[in-house]
Amino acid sequence: MDNTLNRTHVGAVIASIAFQNFKALRNTRVALTPFNLVIGPNGSGKTSLMEAMLRLRTLSKLPLSDATGIQKSGGPEIEFRFTAPHDAIVARMGCVSDVQCDTLRIEPATAPSWPALRTDIGTIRSYVLDHRAMAEAAKRSAGADLQGDGGNLAAVLFQLRANAPAAFAGLTAELLRILPEFRAIELTEAGDEHVALALRLVENGLVPAEGLSQGILYLLGVLALAFDPEPPRVLCIEEPDRGIHPRMLREIRDALYRLSYPEAFGAQRRPVQIVTSTHSPYFIDLFRDHPDEVVISQKKGRAAEFGRLSDRADLAELLREGSLGDMWFSGILGGVPEER
Amino acid sequence: MKVALLSESPADETALRGLVAAVLKQPPKFVGPGYRARGWPNVAQLLPAVLRHLHFNTDTDVLVTVVDSDDSVVHTAAHDAPGYFHPHCRMCQLRAVYRQTTKRLPPAHGRARVIRAVGVAVPAIEAWYLGGRDATVSEAAWIAGQEAGAQPYSRAELKWRVYGTDRPSLAHETECALREIARLNGDVRRLEFDFPGFAAVAADLRAGLRLNNS
Repeated sequence: MDNTLNRTHVGAVIASIAFQNFKALRNTRVALTPFNLVIGPNGSGKTSLMEAMLRLRTLSKLPLSDATGIQKSGGPEIEFRFTAPHDAIVARMGCVSDVQCDTLRIEPATAPSWPALRTDIGTIRSYVLDHRAMAEAAKRSAGADLQGDGGNLAAVLFQLRANAPAAFAGLTAELLRILPEFRAIELTEAGDEHVALALRLVENGLVPAEGLSQGILYLLGVLALAFDPEPPRVLCIEEPDRGIHPRMLREIRDALYRLSYPEAFGAQRRPVQIVTSTHSPYFIDLFRDHPDEVVISQKKGRAAEFGRLSDRADLAELLREGSLGDMWFSGILGGVPEER
Repeated sequence: MKVALLSESPADETALRGLVAAVLKQPPKFVGPGYRARGWPNVAQLLPAVLRHLHFNTDTDVLVTVVDSDDSVVHTAAHDAPGYFHPHCRMCQLRAVYRQTTKRLPPAHGRARVIRAVGVAVPAIEAWYLGGRDATVSEAAWIAGQEAGAQPYSRAELKWRVYGTDRPSLAHETECALREIARLNGDVRRLEFDFPGFAAVAADLRAGLRLNNS
């Protein structure tokens, strides 16, 4: 039983999500905190969790369904509950199949705060960064929000520099601190109203985006999200540690914490609720002091269930014997593939 | 004197560089890049390999290893009795690893062995940062809390006192570490008095310096 379900979390928008027959998530509920790192084997519902949130965003922009609109024939259902001041609202999503969810019902149907909640839900964004897309030149005007694959990174940085120079300076300073071999981010005309990204080396050479490593591009993408002056209320990002050297993973966690805990970074803005995932024991190690932020997805046969690491009663004793990442890899904490 | 560091984070390494220089009264030549472990017990697991590497592949004189005690048994003077070894004391455990590893190594690079310098921050390195500015934080206070079954502060509280948050960024941690080490102005006497786990590494370093100069 996940006993965090009734906790309130400042900074979170979505309090919990319950799944019925949605892909591997047959009958499980996950309570969400301001920051959520989901770990588990492949096919255990990590991506499905993020997909559900994106579908909520999509359906929230359409006319709501009435009570009869929800599938009653055993089709997948997803129930969302929210944090205060929207904690009286329940959103139920009905699906025809695993790939088609087309109805959304709100209870109570006349909830006065639904328009405000719908605005927050409408900002949900989800990312699976793609270094090839990120290296491409992008249309200058297409840089309002980073695309799901990071494909308009150059345009996002271009617009950030133009519209929020302090945030761009902060992003640049952070990048150059982490990667001291560079001394500037350069954004140059690439024809046809496109802009291209490059990094200037300390010794003056210029490395175009297509010459940058995957890890550097992913780091730039995460920093672009972290320094967004108008971030979404909820952000999902899959495996932000991909391509990053283990010694640099702390920087990725810090960038995401900058979004979720802005006050810890001296920022005056609303927190962003983060849902992210990893398969890296080294990244998991970084959450040793905050096990409440770790969600373990446990797969049994074709069904998966979520649980909170902090609900593990013997966690403190286990961590005296080894690192959190090692404990996870060993299987003691669950969230590992089944083997025959 | 050439000094290598085995620490748990870049911020810890920055602090240790400052503390080593303060103990030795001059900055030594640090072997880079710093060696890194993923907390306890990874430090103890990694230590033999780091020692062997430094012994055979470098001319390093001293390896400084500092870990947090967390909730483990705190090293006391009683543990220093000849032949005594407390199985749950991290200082005793790390010293044993040094001893067992180095005794099997033949001389190399003109020295018999890499000199040991072990420290344990009780309960975490943030306590050392508060040394001299927060009188409630000391190893004695922590041990008294352990004996009474009620700790005077938690590791998270120490983070709040040093960083103003329990989720500091690495950059902020490093900045705070540098600020607190600079505050000592090279005088580590109070730190040694309040934190025997620091006094131990300081004593090892001074012994190493004497050996190196002899």
